[in-house]
Amino acid sequence: MLGLLGGSATVGLAGCSALLGDENGDDDSGGSGDYEVSEHADKAQAAWQTVVDNPGPDAEETRNEAYVEIEEAVRDDMVLLPLYHSKGERFWYDYVDIPEHGALGSHHQQFNEVELEGDSELNLLNSSFDELDPIMSTDTASGIVITQLYETLTHYPNGVAEVENQLIEGVETSEDSQTWTFTLKEGVQFHDGQELTADDVVYSFRRLAESEYSERANFILDTPLGLGIEYEEGEDGGVAPDSIGVEAVDDRTVELTLREPNPAVLDILTYDGFAIVPEGIVGDIEGYDGEVDHDEFRTGMANGTGPFQFDGFTPGEEMRVVRNDNYHGTAASVESVHWEINEDPESRFTYAMEQNADVFDIPTSQYDPELIDAEEDDMGREVGTYGPFENDEETNYLAVPELGTYYFAFNVTNVPRPVRQAIAYVVNHEELIQDVLSERGFEAFSFTPPRMWPTGDDGYDQWVDEWPYGVNETDIEGAREVLEETDYTSDDPFEMTAATYESAPEYAEMAELIRQKLGDLPVEINNNSTQFSTLQDRGEDGDLEMYSLGWVWSWPDVAYGHFGFEPKNTNTSEMPNSATGYYLDWQANLDEEA
Amino acid sequence: MSRWGYFFRRLLLSIPVLFLVMTFIFVLLRMGPVDPVAARLGPEATGAEAARMRERLGLNDPLWEQYVDFVTDFLVLDLGQSWVVYADWEVTTIVMNSGPPTLWLGFWAILLPLFIGIPLGFYAGLRPNSWSDYTASVSGILWQAMPNFWLCIILLAVLRQTQGGGWLGFDWYAFGPEIRSITGTPSLDFLSWSNPFGAVPFPTGIDWSALAVDVKLILPPALVLGSASMAAELRIGRTAILETINSNYVETARAKGLKSRAIVWKHVFRNALIPLVPVITNEAFLLIGGSVIVESIFNINGLGRIFFRAMVQGDLPLAGALLFIFTLIIIFLNIVQDFLYTIIDPRVGYER
Repeated sequence: MLGLLGGSATVGLAGCSALLGDENGDDDSGGSGDYEVSEHADKAQAAWQTVVDNPGPDAEETRNEAYVEIEEAVRDDMVLLPLYHSKGERFWYDYVDIPEHGALGSHHQQFNEVELEGDSELNLLNSSFDELDPIMSTDTASGIVITQLYETLTHYPNGVAEVENQLIEGVETSEDSQTWTFTLKEGVQFHDGQELTADDVVYSFRRLAESEYSERANFILDTPLGLGIEYEEGEDGGVAPDSIGVEAVDDRTVELTLREPNPAVLDILTYDGFAIVPEGIVGDIEGYDGEVDHDEFRTGMANGTGPFQFDGFTPGEEMRVVRNDNYHGTAASVESVHWEINEDPESRFTYAMEQNADVFDIPTSQYDPELIDAEEDDMGREVGTYGPFENDEETNYLAVPELGTYYFAFNVTNVPRPVRQAIAYVVNHEELIQDVLSERGFEAFSFTPPRMWPTGDDGYDQWVDEWPYGVNETDIEGAREVLEETDYTSDDPFEMTAATYESAPEYAEMAELIRQKLGDLPVEINNNSTQFSTLQDRGEDGDLEMYSLGWVWSWPDVAYGHFGFEPKNTNTSEMPNSATGYYLDWQANLDEEA
Repeated sequence: MSRWGYFFRRLLLSIPVLFLVMTFIFVLLRMGPVDPVAARLGPEATGAEAARMRERLGLNDPLWEQYVDFVTDFLVLDLGQSWVVYADWEVTTIVMNSGPPTLWLGFWAILLPLFIGIPLGFYAGLRPNSWSDYTASVSGILWQAMPNFWLCIILLAVLRQTQGGGWLGFDWYAFGPEIRSITGTPSLDFLSWSNPFGAVPFPTGIDWSALAVDVKLILPPALVLGSASMAAELRIGRTAILETINSNYVETARAKGLKSRAIVWKHVFRNALIPLVPVITNEAFLLIGGSVIVESIFNINGLGRIFFRAMVQGDLPLAGALLFIFTLIIIFLNIVQDFLYTIIDPRVGYER
């Protein structure tokens, strides 16, 4: 087991988490399995199988039904309790005209549509990042910048969850949905004047799959967490050079071959890692020497097709891009975009109050929900004004329900079902969001966010109506009732640890609120806040009981979140190698164990 | 023992210190709970991706082998590449980029207290138990009691509200050289360099307005960072003056008819400085740790902030290199301290 975890480095960690686990080891003596039923896990397993078996474009309805079944199984077995969906907020001064962004987040927005009154440079704040190489980008900070410089075949304009062509004119799929043929747009030029060709696409995709610098190779190789492209394995177990299923048919036609049908291809291709760079620019894959070395490519230059081109980058301090006048789309109105890199909330707020940042966010310490004057639009966004700020300015305000879900989940072999349900009964979503988040979140009753709910808005409303654990109320009686089935009493309660992590302190506060709510019920929660990686390690060891985590969708595909619920994929004894799901050990409840 | 012998003994003693420090940081980061791969790849990475990264960073080698590599690399001054904070960057480049702002901040954080704290302390010491003494002492204690992070935030909030004219029309932004923001990294390009003597660049000119901007930018954070030292120097300076002014040799000097100005400058001042030397050099150590908070709140891209991020994200090569540098600085400062003693007080010597 330790060997599987990845060598000596984790030995210390595993030992450490084993120790932590021992403290609560006596919980198992009760035999929590007594309270488990198999129907829900079986239902989830069957539903996931349906999703996998029906990948075709015509089977969308079948898949959507299966997704709802998975949500039902999760809810009824209460393996995971959704708490809130992320709320992306943005404030901007009146002299800026910036399109409202959608549920996928502002880092998908290209700034060529931004207009400024009385200034030619758009000034923004950003967090620290250290790379402009698309295949190394895993964070939104670099994503925001890379989106201005490089482009992908398809994209989400302004982060609205409807995929559109960016560098392609059209796409055709074969009968079996495994071959995708893309026609590239004509007359697209890189910043250095070269024309975009199919070879550039092949080269860029090969880098994502083969380069040692690639940090998201799984997005092109794996499925369902990626494209699932065809490839041959090399001698060292990696990808054999030039073996992936992408081919330049002619100058403007690219053919993509997948191992199995994948309904989310166009969505996945929007990911930064699939951005097109000119062929041969770096020599990190076989067959290329590289025009520049990788250090230079990572931080010293950029040569994409985006509406802005590289001007200067000082990591930890600032980044500037200037307008690309030969842009194939609408050329930008602003001449340049400047990001001040700043991570301290007070300092960021100061920078914004000085009107050095035109568009900004504000820290919770300076946030007052009373100052918002906004109305909901047809996309569930709150649009309006906020203010006055301390500098007497009133700004525009936008709050977007983003595709992220934050939750408490349970390892079902460590926490019996009645206890899991009791927790769900006592949780009052509205109260948690008000008290802990100062209303900076949206109530979550499902894992899949409402904006991408498989059966639409009406389906989601119905789902909330049917929520059995009390919508926005603390149902102590309901909790008492389910716990009466068990042998736990106030004198001998069920004890469990709620594991949270320090970088997200709100979870610990929520767990504390839940602990207080339980009152004299026979369940006792101990709060334990650790490092994020410790929580991951304990999850993979199957040591967790109740734990907090979040999931953020990089593209709006339900399967991109639901793969983690497939009971056989939640087997912690196979993590982190062959199982990639959430730390639930839900396979234990299956009728016939895997 | 000769001075050189003493010097070399200090230098030799620093080797086990360095070695212990390196071992300590290795144990802390490689066996503690922080995982650099998780920090770098984020929660969306799969196990296979993480395994590839582990292999690339050499985390799959036996622990003792990693330790030997880690230590030998430092011995040959190969500081390596950062793992997480500035992934794959040469540590030397990071230090070259972020070292100067920290030095600039440290320089002013030592200089300001020297020129405010010590004169105030001496002033108070020369007029003991007067109202001016009370005012100086009490405000010194208050100043020291205020925590740095709080001072930073208050200073930001007060200064930013003077924009466009605050109390009595005072506007920090327009006061002196104009600045865009009170936060940010000083550019430090006020010196123009050229290479008249071959490869080594040599400063040939100063851009005074750029220097003024850099000084103005660094004053608020330096004031906060130096606040504790300022108060300490004030109090110790006051006590030192009181002690010397009542000593016999001062009385003798007065008896032989020396002017009080000569007494103060020649006899009191110099002797009162002796207890201040270790205070000042010790504060230089504190600056290294204290700069973490001040650098992040004032958004200065300096070593303190990077060191903190390297520690919490398990960036072993970067944290190790910075600690190595900090240790070198501290050992160096210790030697400077001994040196200063001999200059100020000829009685203190290396000979026993």
